[in-house]
Amino acid sequence: MARYKPPVQSKFSQIIDVIVLLVLAIGSLYVPLFLKLAGRTVASVPQDAPTWESLGQNPVMVEKWLQLGFPDPASASDLITARFDYSFSWSSLVVMVVVIVGYFAMMIRLSETEYREVIAEKFGQADGRL
Amino acid sequence: MANISTSAPEKVGLLRVLGPAHVWALGVGIVLVGEYMGWNFAVGKGGAYAALIACWFAGLLYTCVAMIDSEVTSTVAAAGGQYTQAKHIVGPLMAFNVGLYLVFAYTMLEAANAITIGFLMDAVATMTGHEGLDQRPFIVLAIMFLAWLNYRGVLATLTFSLVITAFAFSAVIVLFLATAVLTGDSPLRHADLMTDLPYGWVGVLAAMHFGLWYYLGIEGTTQAAEEVRSPARSLPFGTLAGIMTLLIAATLTWYVSAGLMPWEYLGQAGVPLFDAARLSGSTLLMVLLGIGTLFATLASANGCINDASRAWFAMGRDHYLPSWFGAVHPTYRTPFRAIVFLVPIALIFALGAPLDQVITFSILSGLLEYTFMPINMIMFRRKWPLDSIKRGYVHPFHPIPALVLLTLCGTTYFAVFLGYGTQLVAMVAFYIVVSLWFHFWRYRFVNRGAQFTMPWPRPKGY
Amino acid sequence: MDIWNVLEYVAWGASVLFGFFILYDWFVTNSRYSEEVLTSSREGELEAMTEDQRN
Repeated sequence: MARYKPPVQSKFSQIIDVIVLLVLAIGSLYVPLFLKLAGRTVASVPQDAPTWESLGQNPVMVEKWLQLGFPDPASASDLITARFDYSFSWSSLVVMVVVIVGYFAMMIRLSETEYREVIAEKFGQADGRL
Repeated sequence: MANISTSAPEKVGLLRVLGPAHVWALGVGIVLVGEYMGWNFAVGKGGAYAALIACWFAGLLYTCVAMIDSEVTSTVAAAGGQYTQAKHIVGPLMAFNVGLYLVFAYTMLEAANAITIGFLMDAVATMTGHEGLDQRPFIVLAIMFLAWLNYRGVLATLTFSLVITAFAFSAVIVLFLATAVLTGDSPLRHADLMTDLPYGWVGVLAAMHFGLWYYLGIEGTTQAAEEVRSPARSLPFGTLAGIMTLLIAATLTWYVSAGLMPWEYLGQAGVPLFDAARLSGSTLLMVLLGIGTLFATLASANGCINDASRAWFAMGRDHYLPSWFGAVHPTYRTPFRAIVFLVPIALIFALGAPLDQVITFSILSGLLEYTFMPINMIMFRRKWPLDSIKRGYVHPFHPIPALVLLTLCGTTYFAVFLGYGTQLVAMVAFYIVVSLWFHFWRYRFVNRGAQFTMPWPRPKGY
Repeated sequence: MDIWNVLEYVAWGASVLFGFFILYDWFVTNSRYSEEVLTSSREGELEAMTEDQRN
C-alpha cells in the first residue's frame, strides 16, 4: 500500500483550525447558559412565619443552624425547603439515549475504518490479501 | 543563556524525572479538592445517605477505572495518556475525541478550582470583617502562578503538588481523629442529624452525578507517562495507591460532615470541610482545614494544567491539532505552547461561568471518557491477548470490571440527565460536530502508519 | 483601605508579573530556536531508549 503523505498545513490554515475548535467548544458550553436552558431546577417553598418545628428541625439541628450563622428560622427557611424537581419526560430520555449511543456508534465505526488504514501502513497488508 | 546557539540540542523532548510519589501526588492532588468542595452537592441531590451510597458506588466505578487504566498505561507509556491508548487500540477518531474529553475535563476543573479559591478568599475576608472582596484578582493569580510553575518544569510542579497534597490529606485525617476518635465528648451527632432519604431512591440515582466528584481526575496519572522514570512500575503503583487514598478520604469526609451539619445546609455549602472545622469549635482545626482547602484547590488546578497541556501537546505532536502545539521548551522541557494556550480558556470560564455549570462540564467530559475506557479495555484484550505483549500490571477478573464500569456510566448519564439534560445533549452534539470535522477535514494532515509508535506486534484480526 | 484592598492590588500585580514572564520567555524561545528543534519531540522515541516492552 502506498504510504500516505499528508499535505503540509499553512500557518494561516492552522490558526483557522484552532479558531473553529474554540468557537465550537465555547459555543456549546455557553449556549445552554445563554438560552437559560441550563441549570438547577430548585424551588423553595416559602413559609409564612416559619418556626424550627414547622421546618422539621430537631433541637440538635437547630443548634447547628445557629452555629452556622442562621440566627432565626426565616433565614434558614429557603435552604431547608429547597427541593430539586426530578420529573422528566420519557421522550427526552429516549432522545438522550439515542444521541449518546448514536454518537459512540458513529465514532467507533469511523475510527475502525481509519484504524485499518493505520495498521495496513504500519505492518503491511495482512497475509494473503492485498 | 549566551551560548545557547552553540549548545542547542538537535532534538528536544520531555524529561523522565518523576517517581511514583509524584504520580500519586498528581492523581490524588487533582482529586482531593473534591472532598473539600463539590462532593456535598450529592447530599443536596438525595440526602446524606444517598451521598454515602453514591460515594461507594462511584468508588467502585473508579476502582474499575484505575485497574483498567493501570493495565493499559503500563504498556502505553506516552504523554497524552488515554488519548494515546485510544490511538493505538480503538482508532484515530476515538483518540481525537478522548483527547478533547481530557482537555475539557481538566481545563473546566481548573476553572472550578480557581473559582473556589476566590470564594475561599472572600470567606476569609468576610470572617475578618471585610465585606465585598473582589475575587477576580485571586482567581487570576491562582491560574497565572500555576501556569508559570508548569511552564518552568515538571519536577518542581509535581513536587509542589506532592507537598501540598500530603498536607491537605493529613488535614482530613486530623479532622477525623480530632472529632471522632480523640475527643471524649465527640461533637458528631449522626443520630440526630441523619434523616430518611428526602427524595427516595431516585435521589440516590441523582446523587451519582456529584458522587463522581469524590474521585474525578484520578485517571490523570497516565498523563505523566512520558515523564516518569519507570512507567511500567510507577504508574500502576501510583494510581492504585491513589484510589485507595481517595476511598479513605471520601468516606472520612462524609462521616465527619454528615455528623456536624444538617443535610440541607451541607448539600448547598461552598466549602463543607471548612464549615465542619468551624463547627468543631477548634480554631486550630479551622485554620488547618482552611489552609487544607486552599492547598487542595491549588494542587488540583496545578495537576489539571499539567494534564490538560500534556493531552493538548500530544495531539499537536501527532498533527491531530496544528503541529505548532507539539513544541517542547528546550530549557524547561515542558509543552510550553500548550500550557500558554490553555491559560486564557481557563480564565474565560473561571471568570464567566457559575461554579455548578463548570463542574458539570467537567463531569460530563469525564463521564464520556469513562465510557470509552471499557470499550478500550475489551478491544485491548481482544487485539493483544495477554501472551502477546508484556504488561507491567494485569488487572483481575476481566471483563467484569469493564462491564461494571459501563453499567455505572449508564447510571450516571441518567443522574446527569435528571438535572442537566440540556448540557448533556449540547455537549454530545459538540462532540458529534467536531468528530465530523476531524474525520472529513483535519485527519488529512495526520501521518497514517507513523502515529502507531508502540513496539507492539500486529493486532489480532487485522 | 484595609489589608484586603492591598492584597487585591498585590494579586493583580503578581498576576501581571507571572504573565509577563511567561509571554517574554515564550517570545524569546520562539524566536531563538527553529521550529524544527522545538517540534522535534516524537512519541515513543523515549521508549526505545529507556525500556523494551517486548517479551
